[in-house]
Amino acid sequence: MKMKRLRFNFAPYLLILPSFIYLAVFFAWPMVRSLQLAFVRDSQILPVLSEPEEKADVVGHLEMQVDVAVVDRIRQDETLASGRTRPVYWFKIASETESGEPIEGWVHQKNLFIKSRTESDTARVVSGEGAKEWTLDYVERMINDYRFREALQTTLLLIVFILPIQFVLAITMALVLQSQLRGNSLFLYIYAIPLGISDLAAGLVWVTIFTQRGYLNTFLQQLGLIDQPYIFLSAENQHWLIVAIVLAEVWRATSIVMVIVVSGLQAIPREYLEAGELFGASLWQRLRHITLPLLKPSLQVALILRTILAFQVFAVVVAITGGRVLTVLAYETYRWYDPGDSGFNNPNMAAAYAGFIMLISLAFAVFYLRTVRTQEEAARE
Amino acid sequence: MTTRALDPVQRRALRRQQLRRAGVYALAILIALWILLPIWLIGTMAFSTRDDVYGFPKQMAPIPFTTDTMQFFIDQPGIIDGTRNSIVVAVITLAMSTLIAAPAGYAISRYFFVGRDAYRLGILAVRAFPIVILAVPLAVTFIEWGMFDKVYSVALMHTALTLPTTVLVVSSVFASIPREFEEAAKVFGCNAYQAFMRVVLPLVLPGIAASAIFTFVMSWNEVFAATLLTIRNRTLPALILYQLNKSSLQFQYAGGFFMLVPSLIFIFFIRRYLFNMWGQITK
Repeated sequence: MKMKRLRFNFAPYLLILPSFIYLAVFFAWPMVRSLQLAFVRDSQILPVLSEPEEKADVVGHLEMQVDVAVVDRIRQDETLASGRTRPVYWFKIASETESGEPIEGWVHQKNLFIKSRTESDTARVVSGEGAKEWTLDYVERMINDYRFREALQTTLLLIVFILPIQFVLAITMALVLQSQLRGNSLFLYIYAIPLGISDLAAGLVWVTIFTQRGYLNTFLQQLGLIDQPYIFLSAENQHWLIVAIVLAEVWRATSIVMVIVVSGLQAIPREYLEAGELFGASLWQRLRHITLPLLKPSLQVALILRTILAFQVFAVVVAITGGRVLTVLAYETYRWYDPGDSGFNNPNMAAAYAGFIMLISLAFAVFYLRTVRTQEEAARE
Repeated sequence: MTTRALDPVQRRALRRQQLRRAGVYALAILIALWILLPIWLIGTMAFSTRDDVYGFPKQMAPIPFTTDTMQFFIDQPGIIDGTRNSIVVAVITLAMSTLIAAPAGYAISRYFFVGRDAYRLGILAVRAFPIVILAVPLAVTFIEWGMFDKVYSVALMHTALTLPTTVLVVSSVFASIPREFEEAAKVFGCNAYQAFMRVVLPLVLPGIAASAIFTFVMSWNEVFAATLLTIRNRTLPALILYQLNKSSLQFQYAGGFFMLVPSLIFIFFIRRYLFNMWGQITK
């Protein structure tokens, strides 16, 4: 009996262990790696030695691809593992360090590119030792990039337009579903369809509407509003590009907000609304003073989720604009990483962008959490 | 007894009630059209002839109906392979995500243990995290580990993406089954394992299936990470995204429609579970 009381229940820990390990390897570790990529430069530098031997003192360092003058050379015999010997050269070189100071010392032949070991009097530094150093270069380069400012502006602009429309529409959809119409389950299905539609497909759907020979121009012509198809999606029509992206995002991503709002509505006791009705509150008054305040926690969750997702908007923008005309943060991340012909193949810069998206998402989440709480606290006082 | 005649005030109230009802219906249908019309339009394009795809003004229905445009899309190099890759990735993701998440979901819905709330909160935080941006460091790591450009490495990334959601959904599914059912089974002589297998499992299976389907859809749709992690073994969305700038309208319309068909089907099957799936998450 005594033993039993001492026994610790391991079962739940064993059950959560796999998910814990998985997220440590594929979530926590990449996050650390991301910061490493963004803030650590992994470069090689060549130590210049005071004597022509491996263990001599280091007199200074040279960057890669620096031209050096060969002042002196010495031939040594190196013993290989097989017992044979082979000749190796040490070169006394003279050059300037990165900061412009003169430097003179010995380096091994393996670190230099030299045309003739016995005759050349110039060489180039081609290898050295790995060196990791903290750097803000990538972050600075990102912030100074004109596309960064454009991307940030466009992303924020999209959030400002998309979120309010989305929340009004989602609350409307949820209230419609809550009013238990005939065919409610059909409406529910239709309203939920966009949950399963990818951002890329949604972008392409709205291309059919906004493209030059598309449906919007067809409707406008049938209504007699235009004679010729208008070119909405062009670099000169930035505002129309924004309109198309906003509509595509509202069309695609409102369902998730709707689902969260419906879940929140279901948790509100019917009695509250009935009491409101009994005391003569109009529909609008009930919505404003009963439903919305009680929905606040759900709306908060939806707001955080949607804002974070909005910072990752990507494929819709690529589908509608091609990515070059109008850029967003996630597209810049992709462009810096992409090793293909359209990208720069620079994981460090891509990681800097990814880190920035992480940071700004976090800032917004904290901001939302704080504002809502302070309002509640203010109400309590 | 005949119905008593309504006085003018009551009649006005009734009429207002009816009008409001009609208004709600109109609104419901309007919103349904807002969602369905664009799908109908791209569907029309996907089944129109080449001339109609490039023609103007556009028609509202695919007449004459043809599968040529879809055929043209499917015949493009890589589309079949991309579709197969997408399905393989989604199935691996579904399997791993469900297998890893189910025990965890069970644990947080059935046991009280030190660190339970911390674990739940952590999962919630990971779920809200802009996880797609992990694709950059993961791609670099996968290159170092020799796992780059592999179908299973995309699945590993997608599992990280879907795992938190699946844990929360599964825990809400388990939470909806009263503990008493298990206890009753034990009273009738089942051990813990039998009680789980014979009583709990059949009850939670539909909910877990719904969550698995949703995991499949999330993986099928994911494009950013898939684009970064693959070059030759692209998934379908990654392939379409990559070819977008140099592709024809036929390719874009048929491709867009092809990608959204699964959502039409799968959402139909899981529509009843959607609120169970998110109800718990918001609490």
